[in-house]
Parts: sequence; C-alpha cells; structure tokens
Amino acid sequence: MSPVMTRRALLGAGAGLAAVTTTGVAEARILPRDMVPLIGPGYRAVDQDEKGMWQLMERVEEEVSGSNLLIKDAQLTSYLGTLIGNVGGPAAKDMRIYLARIPEFNAVMFPTGFTIIFSGLLLRMRNEAQLAGVIAHESAHFLRKHQIRQWRDMRRKTDIFSFLAMGAGVAGGVAGVYAGDLVQLAQLGTILTLLKYNRTLEAEADAMGVRLLAEAGYDPMAMSETWEQLIAELDLSAKYRRKRRHRDFSLFETHPSPESRMADLKISAAEVKVPGRSYDPYRDRYLAALSNIRPTMLDDQVKLNDPGASQYIVNTLAKDGWNGLLRFYEGEIWRLRNSQKQDDEDRAALGYAAAVAYPDAPPDAWRWHGIMLLKKGRTVEARAAFARYLQLAPDAPDAPFVRQMMVG
Amino acid sequence: MRLNKLLLLAVAALPLPACTGAGGEGYGYGGYSLVRVREVRVGDNSLAVTPPREWNRISARLFRDIRDVEDWTQNGPYLDGISFVTGLKDGKAVVVQRSRDDRQVPKFRSNMTAPEIAAMIESLYRVRGGAVDFNMTSLAPRQFLGANGFQFDFEHLDSDEVRRRGRAVGAVVDGQLYLILYDAARSHYFNAYLPDFESIVTSARRV
Repeated sequence: MSPVMTRRALLGAGAGLAAVTTTGVAEARILPRDMVPLIGPGYRAVDQDEKGMWQLMERVEEEVSGSNLLIKDAQLTSYLGTLIGNVGGPAAKDMRIYLARIPEFNAVMFPTGFTIIFSGLLLRMRNEAQLAGVIAHESAHFLRKHQIRQWRDMRRKTDIFSFLAMGAGVAGGVAGVYAGDLVQLAQLGTILTLLKYNRTLEAEADAMGVRLLAEAGYDPMAMSETWEQLIAELDLSAKYRRKRRHRDFSLFETHPSPESRMADLKISAAEVKVPGRSYDPYRDRYLAALSNIRPTMLDDQVKLNDPGASQYIVNTLAKDGWNGLLRFYEGEIWRLRNSQKQDDEDRAALGYAAAVAYPDAPPDAWRWHGIMLLKKGRTVEARAAFARYLQLAPDAPDAPFVRQMMVG
Repeated sequence: MRLNKLLLLAVAALPLPACTGAGGEGYGYGGYSLVRVREVRVGDNSLAVTPPREWNRISARLFRDIRDVEDWTQNGPYLDGISFVTGLKDGKAVVVQRSRDDRQVPKFRSNMTAPEIAAMIESLYRVRGGAVDFNMTSLAPRQFLGANGFQFDFEHLDSDEVRRRGRAVGAVVDGQLYLILYDAARSHYFNAYLPDFESIVTSARRV
C-alpha cells in the first residue's frame, strides 16, 4: 500500500483511475500460481525514479522508527518479525515491521519494504493465520514492486492533472509522516488504502498472499475470513448510526466490490491447498503472543464509542469463547452509548454482572458493577463490589473516589 | 472544547471570524479576545470566575463549541487551555456532533457519577482529540460550587506525539454539569499554569 498520498491526492488519483479503467467488465481472476516474486533477497532500487522514491521513504522510516506511538514490546515485535519471516518470501530478511498503537483496522507497506501494522488490526485478527495473511498481502506488494509499477502506470495513463496531484501527494504524504501524523495514515481506512492500488495490483497481492500463506503452512482461507469480518463490521457500525456502509466504496465504483474480492480469495485459497497437507490457523500461539496487549487494544477500541464496530469485534472474539474481559467490554459498549430509549444502562449493568462471574474479570468490571448497583439503590451489594475492586486494585488512581462511594 | 484535531478541522473549514462580540472586551482578531483580571461570566453566563492574570478567550466559532462551553488559552490551544462547561443538560454532549458520526462523545446524563463523567472526558479526548493513549492518574472527591464534586487528573499522548496532562474539577448541580477543565503540554506548560487554574476554580460561583 503506497502511503505516499494524502486523502486529497488520493481522491484525485482515484478519479484519474476511474477515468481510464474500463467499466463494469469483470476481469479474470489472477491465479496464485502465476505470482512469482519480481525481486530477490537484498533488493535495492535500480532506476532513477525508483531511487528517488526510496530516498524519500528512507527518511520516512527514520521518522516512523522514532515515533512514540510505536509499541516497543520486545516479545511482540520479535513475534511479528517471525511472521514476516514465515510469509515474506525471498525478501523475508529485508523487511521491517513496526507496530503502532492506533485503534484502526489498517496496515501499510512502504516501497522500501517496511510495514506499519496498526494495533487495531491486531485486535481484530482471530488467529495467526489471519494476521499472517495481511502481512503476506503486504509482502506481495513489495515482492511484485507494486509501488513503482503503480507510479509508472499512473504517469502513462492519466492526464497531467492527476499526475500532478499524485506528485503533490508524495510531498504531502511525506510531510504528514514527518509531522508524526501516523494517525492520519491509519485513518485512511483499510478499504480506502487497499483501493489505492488499481484492481490488477490488488488482485495480484491477494493471489500471491494466499499462495505465500499456504506455502508457510497457514490455512489460506484466513484471508477471505478477514475480509468477511471487515465488511460485517463496517455494516454493523453504519447500521448503529442509521446510515449505509462507508460511502467511500462509491468513490471507486469501477473497482470490484469487497464482496467479489472476498469470493476470489476463497477460490484462490481452495486452489493453493495441497491435498493431504494440513493447514493450521495457529490460534493458541496468537493468543499467547497477544495476551499482554489485548486488554489495552480492546480498551482503545471500545472507548471510541463506535458501538456497532465494537460490538462486532467483541462478538467475533467471543466466537472462540466468552470470558470476563469480553463480557466487561460488552458492558462498556452500552454504558458509553448511553441511549435511554434502548435501556443501555440496564444492558451495561447486565454486562458487568456477567463479567464478574468469570474468574478473569478485570478489576474495572467490579468497579462498574458496583456503580450500576449503586445507581439502582442496591447499596449493600454495591459496597461489596467496590470492596472487591479495591482488593484487586488497591493502588487504583480512583480509589479515593470509590471509597467515598462506599460510605456515601 | 480545546482539542487539537478539532482546531485543525475548524480552521480549515471556517473563515477566521473578526472580534468575537459576545466577549465584549478587547479587540481580538483571529478568534481571540482578552479576558481581564476581574470577575467574568463564562459559557452560558451561569458561571462567574476571576482569573489571577489576563487570559485569551477563544472564539466559539473557531472551535465550533456548543453554547455551554467556553475556551481560554495563554500560549495557544496546542500548548495550554482551560475549558468551562456550564449548565450542560441531560442528553447533551460537550461538543457539537452529528448523530451519524461513527465515533461519538457520550452524552451527559443527569444521574452520572464522577467515574462516568471522567469516562466521558476520556472519550472526548480519544474521539475528538486524537488521543492514542489516555490514563487516569487520580479521581478524588472535591467540593465545587458548594456541591459534592470531583477532581479528575489525567495524562494523554496525542496523535501529534505530544504528551499532555489535564485536570478537571466538576460537579452536577440541579441535574446540570458544571466543569472546569485544564489541559496542557506535560513539559513546562502544565505546571506553569496550574496555579492559575486552581485560582480560577476556587473563584468559581454560580450566578
């Protein structure tokens, strides 16, 4: 995914693409077996224009690697490095991965082979195969030299205006990253970012990603599952705000819908599976690697008060079993939405009550359980819940206030 | 509300207003007007405070504030600021927002406890301020406007990679929220103007 475009430039580029792509004709699916890497180990920019792009990107990487938004947990970053090693093909040793604490469902590959994974993406993946699928897709962009191909393609096909817009985008994008605006980068949105490449390049990355995934022993079906989750989440988020899904889709009408892309991914996945070989989603390994950070990531998401998206994520994670943490955040979703018409406070109270029944309920669940009881006038039970909270978190920053609620 | 992201949006979307008019004092341009060292009414005029030195009032139009909110600053909104929430009614949010926004600042409810109001402020910073990390450092009882209120202290890391600290002192009076919120860059600015904030909080009275 080329990061080098501001949203404004992106729209310009999109319009340019729309003008040159033939309308409505379904293209043949790109076959995974045709997807061979175009670069080998230790690849460096060859041509003049590519060298220029690399120079800019090296400066960007310097900025990114020093950002205080990065999660620097050594165990987690080495885990992500292992995944690149698994699905990075011939460039596995050359690629770098950065994890940013930004609650957005996104990942970005830069032309020089470094990638930024946003914590919101990690939160949404149910297993290692899904995450490896995203990384494989990103690797494929690098292995197939998509950034420079897209750049040249644009220059050839589009009129001078969109070419200029894209040039402005390069400068703007780099300046944006220099200003430390990783958040803006993340918020371009997965769909929008994916659509930055033309459909052929995206289809290539999908096909090659599926292949890299299967070759590494992961269940290649994981990639279409990720898309399915993304689509369903956007739908539910929009529904809760009483509107239609992300209107960004309509900007790129000539592009395949996410649904058709998902269908292609499924067919390709079936194609690359070798009979008799076993493929694993590696769920346990994934959960173990994320165990320290998952509560924080869930917290970052739920507190954005986007109830549809958050509920979808909680329910998706709960497919692998409910626990105290997920029940607690279910309560948090309704508490923050606080619609009186829909009795959100009662629903929140139920969530907290359910959470504290689990042994792994976070201390916060006991505090909120107590507050809900207090508001219902059940002071004796509330006091017991607060006492439990203070017992689990004696140094909690709000302990003074909770103690007052116990006596008041 | 004085939030960086919001400021950027507002500046991009609106022409700079001239003198704020409503503030009355000074000849501020570019959305600022002077607040003198004497008792002044803020927000919907139901709250009066006395600053210990001159501050700058930010035009409500520049920030697209709701009527019940007013913002002040010393060195500009990126570095420090005080926001006054005055008489916010049940069912209203502290910022202007559309019902179809994906991410929303929770609405204030009259029966909210201090932890709920603190959580509302946290979502304000996350949803509208672009805070990536937000931590409560303290929540304790505190008298405010003669009511049993609270003091909420917090720290956050924003998308511009600056760490900021804040303090909110508030109370629900007659079912309406009164709150004075201070937020500033953690290095230098927060400590530099904390005494001003404290003095303003102490001086606050309903009128």
